[in-house]
Amino acid sequence: MRIAGESIGARGGALLAIASVAGILLGMHGWSMRHHGLPAAGLTGGTPAASAPASAAPGATQGPRPPATRAAGPKLSSQSYAAYAFQVWPAASSAARAAATGLVIRVSRQGPGISVRAGVAGQPLPAATYYPAGAKVYVIEASMGDDAGGADYNLGDDGLVVTDAQGRIVQ
Amino acid sequence: MSSSTRRAQDRAPRAQDRAPRAQAAARAGAAGGLAGRIRGAAAGWAPTLGRVMLGLVLAWFGYHELVAPQLWTGYVPLAGTTSAVAVALVLAHGWVLLVLAVAIIAGIALRLAAAVAALLLVEIIISLTVTGGLTDLTLRDVGVLGLALALTGETRQRAVLTG
Repeated sequence: MRIAGESIGARGGALLAIASVAGILLGMHGWSMRHHGLPAAGLTGGTPAASAPASAAPGATQGPRPPATRAAGPKLSSQSYAAYAFQVWPAASSAARAAATGLVIRVSRQGPGISVRAGVAGQPLPAATYYPAGAKVYVIEASMGDDAGGADYNLGDDGLVVTDAQGRIVQ
Repeated sequence: MSSSTRRAQDRAPRAQDRAPRAQAAARAGAAGGLAGRIRGAAAGWAPTLGRVMLGLVLAWFGYHELVAPQLWTGYVPLAGTTSAVAVALVLAHGWVLLVLAVAIIAGIALRLAAAVAALLLVEIIISLTVTGGLTDLTLRDVGVLGLALALTGETRQRAVLTG
């Protein structure tokens, strides 16, 4: 068989057919797993723990808040992506700043918890999310190789995690 | 001592000198032969090595785009990173990359496959440049594009699947 002046023999055609079928099978697997992966919090519109009260000013004294409606999750250190977690608040290291390339993350204390706004640089920031038990904010960056020149070309491997003081994931 | 004996003694060291020089020349010749053989092997196998290397790059990206498309949707222009359209486009892109990788590694319709790979890389480079400017990532892809372009005109390939 000839295509555009190039000949493809029987064995070559068979190998390409096998590769095509293998690619389709891998693609079906990938499609079924498309919702799995890194935590899709903040950056991709994850479910907020609670909406930030519009009238609440950072640091305002509002009396004791009701207990968090959601129990804290597992410890971040026990997660498979813990190795890719970089603490950005409070006190971000230089590695954390590099991991947060292309992202805008704003954290402020609000009463006993923290309020977090996170989004992609150059795009409108989503509304703040309030975490009553939040104490630390981490950026998950699986690969620094997709960050260059102040831009992150693969936000699909990025995520945001908020933990309580004990390191348990609250979002 | 006669003059003829002296001349013979004078000649003797020169003959002894000649032996190491011959050995050195022989060593140089052998080294030259080895270098020549290495140069010959490199010239013969370099196009094949380039072909396999380019195929491995395409295979790596194709495989990962197929098994974890959600990590690559950020590259899809004009589509949300969580949209099904973006995932489907990444899967299609990964499938093309995987088939191209197999064709290039096996040397099946190599110049055509390399040309298609070059077109894909041009599209990627333009997309990256438009969205983020000329960065080190973009330049890295320019290098891979150069390799693909070089293979589009390459005819001296070894270890090619025929038949």
